[in-house]
Amino acid sequence: MATSARTETIPPRVGTPVLEARGICHRFAKRVILEDVTLLVAPGERVALTGENGAGKSTLMRICARLLTPQAGTLRIEGRVGYCPQIPGLHDLLTADEHLALFSPALGLTRQEGVRRGRELLAEFGFPVGERTQVRHLSGGSQQKLNLALALLGGASVLLLDEPYQGFDHGSYDNFWDHVASWSAQGIAVVVVTHMLQDLDLVDRVVELPANA
Amino acid sequence: MIRRHWSSHILLPAEMAARELVRRGTALGLLTLLPLAFYASSRGSSDYAPVLGGIAMAFSVSGAAIFCALTSRQLDSRLVLAGYRPRELLLGRLLLLEALGFLVALVFAGVIELGSSPADPLELIGGVFLVTACAVPFGLAVGALVPNELESVLILIGVVGVELTLQTTNIVDRFMPWWGAQRLLEQAGDGRGATLMPIIVCVAYACGLFGLAVVAVNRRYATLR
Repeated sequence: MATSARTETIPPRVGTPVLEARGICHRFAKRVILEDVTLLVAPGERVALTGENGAGKSTLMRICARLLTPQAGTLRIEGRVGYCPQIPGLHDLLTADEHLALFSPALGLTRQEGVRRGRELLAEFGFPVGERTQVRHLSGGSQQKLNLALALLGGASVLLLDEPYQGFDHGSYDNFWDHVASWSAQGIAVVVVTHMLQDLDLVDRVVELPANA
Repeated sequence: MIRRHWSSHILLPAEMAARELVRRGTALGLLTLLPLAFYASSRGSSDYAPVLGGIAMAFSVSGAAIFCALTSRQLDSRLVLAGYRPRELLLGRLLLLEALGFLVALVFAGVIELGSSPADPLELIGGVFLVTACAVPFGLAVGALVPNELESVLILIGVVGVELTLQTTNIVDRFMPWWGAQRLLEQAGDGRGATLMPIIVCVAYACGLFGLAVVAVNRRYATLR
């Protein structure tokens, strides 16, 4: 059942929330994007974030990832956040392995360890691992798989995935949701921005952002 | 607790930026050819050619730094979210671009030495190296402060363009980033003039610009730290 984020009163499924965003307000110039939005997510919970275009889904995700400071509201997150943005923003001239290497030291991994773990993740998503193809020559779906792997590298207690399966073929798409179930079983809270109505059966809860919040 | 080591947190971003630049063969070629074109076009008609070419190096080196800063911005936010400090990413790029710029400066100094035979080659080398030393932090600061490519490039053209038209005796020129470098390049022709003050001014400008870039990126990622 969908709940409105502005008036959300349904508590997370179990335990203390690992992601607790309360009373979030944000506007760009005079346009109100988010107004008094509250989002609570428990460990292992799968939440779908829906809403019309311009409802503020991506903005809320950026705020939850602490990439954007809200004009009002509080945010509390336990553990590390893995964030997969809608637009990958990868370096066109680097390969997948080079991206994995670049992220590794920041996550406390050695270069070799980071590349190895990243390759394992990419292999699970059906990415052509080991090829020295620059990102600009990868398909949109493959770029998105790398984008997702970078969010997962190093482990996370909260995953914020902003339409992460754009460009995925049908098999990869099904595979993605199998992984969401697996991450949830490991206790990782997963928030997925989606427009796909068939996804809504695959999550524990649907939070709908009101239009023109 | 993540152990930080400068070799991975600074040199790895520098290495990746280097890999990207190396794969832009055309851009690297233009980076070297641009100042040479300025120098070659004015060599026959003016004694001021080494100064023009030297200051024109600021176009290419600062341009490369601006490009590096702007194209990295989207991924940088994720790298900082992952655990990098903004200043580590910036320092990595500074080291790489300075190294590349010094290489271009060395080529350029060699060409001027052969083409114009300045009275004081050391001042010539010092001048072109100072251009690079200041151009990289200038580009990084503009890239950190200005949101878009067009505005950044217009600022670069404006500042370097104004500097090219001013003589170092002009009071306004004394406040421009490459005044010290320009002064040394001018003095290389006749071998007369003080060298310490131009070097101090240029190095101070470079440090100030890099500090500005650090403050700008720290502010941008303040919520992540």
